[in-house]
Amino acid sequence: MGPSGGALSAAAKQAEQLRIDGNAYFKKDRFGAAIDAYTEAITLCPNVPVYWTNRALCHLKRHNWERVEEDCRRAIQLDNHSVKAHYMLGLALLQKQEHTKGIRELEKALDLGRGANPKGYMVEEIWRELARAKYQEWERTSSKRSWDLQSLKEACESALKEKHSLDMSHMEGFLDDATTSQLEQLEALQRVFSKAAEGDTPTEVPDYLCCRITLDIFHDPVITPSGITYERAVILDHLQKVGRFDPVTREPLDPSQLVPNLAIKEAVQAYLDTHGWAYKV
Amino acid sequence: MTSSSAAARKNLSKIACNRLQKELVEWQVNPPTGFKHKVTDNLQRWVIEVSGAPGTLYANETYQLQVDFPENYPMEAPQVIFLHPAPLHPHIYSNGHICLDILYDSWSPAMTVSSICISILSMLSSSTVKQRPEDNDRYVKNCRNGRSPRRQGGGSMMIKYSN
Repeated sequence: MGPSGGALSAAAKQAEQLRIDGNAYFKKDRFGAAIDAYTEAITLCPNVPVYWTNRALCHLKRHNWERVEEDCRRAIQLDNHSVKAHYMLGLALLQKQEHTKGIRELEKALDLGRGANPKGYMVEEIWRELARAKYQEWERTSSKRSWDLQSLKEACESALKEKHSLDMSHMEGFLDDATTSQLEQLEALQRVFSKAAEGDTPTEVPDYLCCRITLDIFHDPVITPSGITYERAVILDHLQKVGRFDPVTREPLDPSQLVPNLAIKEAVQAYLDTHGWAYKV
Repeated sequence: MTSSSAAARKNLSKIACNRLQKELVEWQVNPPTGFKHKVTDNLQRWVIEVSGAPGTLYANETYQLQVDFPENYPMEAPQVIFLHPAPLHPHIYSNGHICLDILYDSWSPAMTVSSICISILSMLSSSTVKQRPEDNDRYVKNCRNGRSPRRQGGGSMMIKYSN
């Protein structure tokens, strides 16, 4: 190592100390002081993504969303696999009403987080934020959909009635038949439209898409050798705290035997795509 | 009432809260036969009225169950006791404590209030005599708010109703 190498490592050491100082300020809610410490660390070593994400978190605490976005984008340039950077960027974009992009970032963060630490607190938190954003998206789009459906239905009904009176003026006799068939058509129309509104009508999520422990729709389903599917974080918690057995069948169960249930995961996603209300947390 | 244990209780975790709300909704739609939940705004303590099944020793009798949920329910079993007066039964102590394995060692988080209630009713229904457990007096005297018959040496007579 030449002298420049020695200087580099001295800067890295100093930056690391600044990060530790920043973390200490952060814990005491002294976000201004923490931002100063991380900024100094960034000046010394601009290529360490954690300095950027730590500073972004301080900006987040102060609701300074533009700065959150800037810092997260820098962190992602340095490390495209940073869960925190994608997560906070997603939150910042949602604040800017950029719903689609924000949701995409949260989904990316969730995928990365599940790979890294499936049981981590972050994963649950990211899922909640994502679900909240998706639910709000559903609220926005579903009220427009039901409005459109309602006006279309009214238009169809009045068209049917008009056609009926037109038919009546041409026809003589068989009037009762015509009236009956018009009533039947109106009823059929009613059925067609309530069918079309089904996806946007909140009801119970089917049991087969819900974990037997949380009773909630699956987020990250895993299947046991008994064939029962559970929410990953919760079954891991059970194996650690309650005992090493399958909660439903009571067969012995080891964490290593859990396998992701991809089919159910896709089924949940397909259900959520057409029943956005089920994102409600 | 065991007021001392109530005072020491912690708030429900997020998972517990969520799950109890879902259990409550399910109960309202589809309550187990013979049980009535007395509605309160307290999610952490349910009081449930149980009616003895027709054709059993407890027919035409009603009792009250008190169900207290721990902070990290369903990773821990709820505490289930009969409020005074407790039914006369070989596995129910006069202080309301119930000798039932699923409430202690055989608890599983896949069980619900509803499934516990069904187990308790089946325990009542299968009884052939109306009497207290043999060690009732000793147990109740030594009990002091403890909730687990297991710790009091009642394990040998614990009955298994788990599926």
